[in-house]
Amino acid sequence: MNHKHLFIISGLIFLTFFAYMTVSAQNEIIRLDNSAFENPQRPGAVFDHDTHNEMAGLEDDCSVCHHVYDGKTLIEGESSEDSACSDCHELKPTPENSVPLRKAFHNRCKDCHFTSQKGPVLCGECHIK
Amino acid sequence: MHSFIQFITGPMVWISFGICFIGIVFRLLQIFRLTREKENFMFTFLSVKFSLRSILVWLVPFLPVSTRKSPVFYAVSYIFHILLFLTPLFLLSHVILIEENFNLSWWTVSDWLADIFTVAVICALIFFAIRRRMVPEVKFLTGLSDYVFIILVALPFISGFIAYHQFFAYQWMVIIHVISGELMLILIPFTRFFHMILAPLTRAYTASEFGGVRHSKDW
Repeated sequence: MNHKHLFIISGLIFLTFFAYMTVSAQNEIIRLDNSAFENPQRPGAVFDHDTHNEMAGLEDDCSVCHHVYDGKTLIEGESSEDSACSDCHELKPTPENSVPLRKAFHNRCKDCHFTSQKGPVLCGECHIK
Repeated sequence: MHSFIQFITGPMVWISFGICFIGIVFRLLQIFRLTREKENFMFTFLSVKFSLRSILVWLVPFLPVSTRKSPVFYAVSYIFHILLFLTPLFLLSHVILIEENFNLSWWTVSDWLADIFTVAVICALIFFAIRRRMVPEVKFLTGLSDYVFIILVALPFISGFIAYHQFFAYQWMVIIHVISGELMLILIPFTRFFHMILAPLTRAYTASEFGGVRHSKDW
């Protein structure tokens, strides 16, 4: 086996590997972290943050989802990208926050999707098995 | 598609429950009016004591003699009727929808258990269909509509099962599931589904006659 052959074979191996990585990266399902829930009955919702925001035109307005509330009033212009939804939304409604975590997730997604007539709205469209 | 889904999961739910509730009230008023017109004598021997006693006895599995004569059919029937209500009422997905819309929620069964209940309901319906073909005295009384009603009840359970497991055509399965469930609600007052309301009245009538006139048990 000369150097030319070795070069071609290693090139082919590299290309196959690269192609596999690309395809598997595309197939990788990105799901929301549902570890805050006790005994979740469904897999976490499929959600690719960047692709979603690109399609929804939300790149410049993080506060639509990452909002900040003071009691019941929304604080305009402030956003909360650094904190998790479960930092404020508890599993059960509390005096400080009447919206429990599951409801926060569900209504945040569904309300927008119904209003914009785009995106998944049925249980299994997000909670893909 | 979004506005269609929004309609069948929103206003259509209200319409279905509305027709169901108003229909039940209307049918009950109609029945009392007809009884007054045609069988007014019934009120002379109608007894609360005998009625309640009979209803209570018939609620206890295998207490009435006729239920012991067909134990398999009645066992399947008891399980079917309990699960028919228990499964949708305590299904997490249903309670979540109520919670998100009305801030009301209650105890739920886990999804794997609801899955078993659903299969049990479907199996019971298959059993009822086979029974209608196999048992001569039942076959004699069976018409096409009997099978139509079995299919009507099966539809929300089969479509719900397929949708939950995401086997195929997910979106359409949910749509069939929602519409067939609403159809069942709408049909309750106007079809044989009305036996859920009528059964205690039938028992009251029979029990009053057996207890007060014939002085015998009706179970």
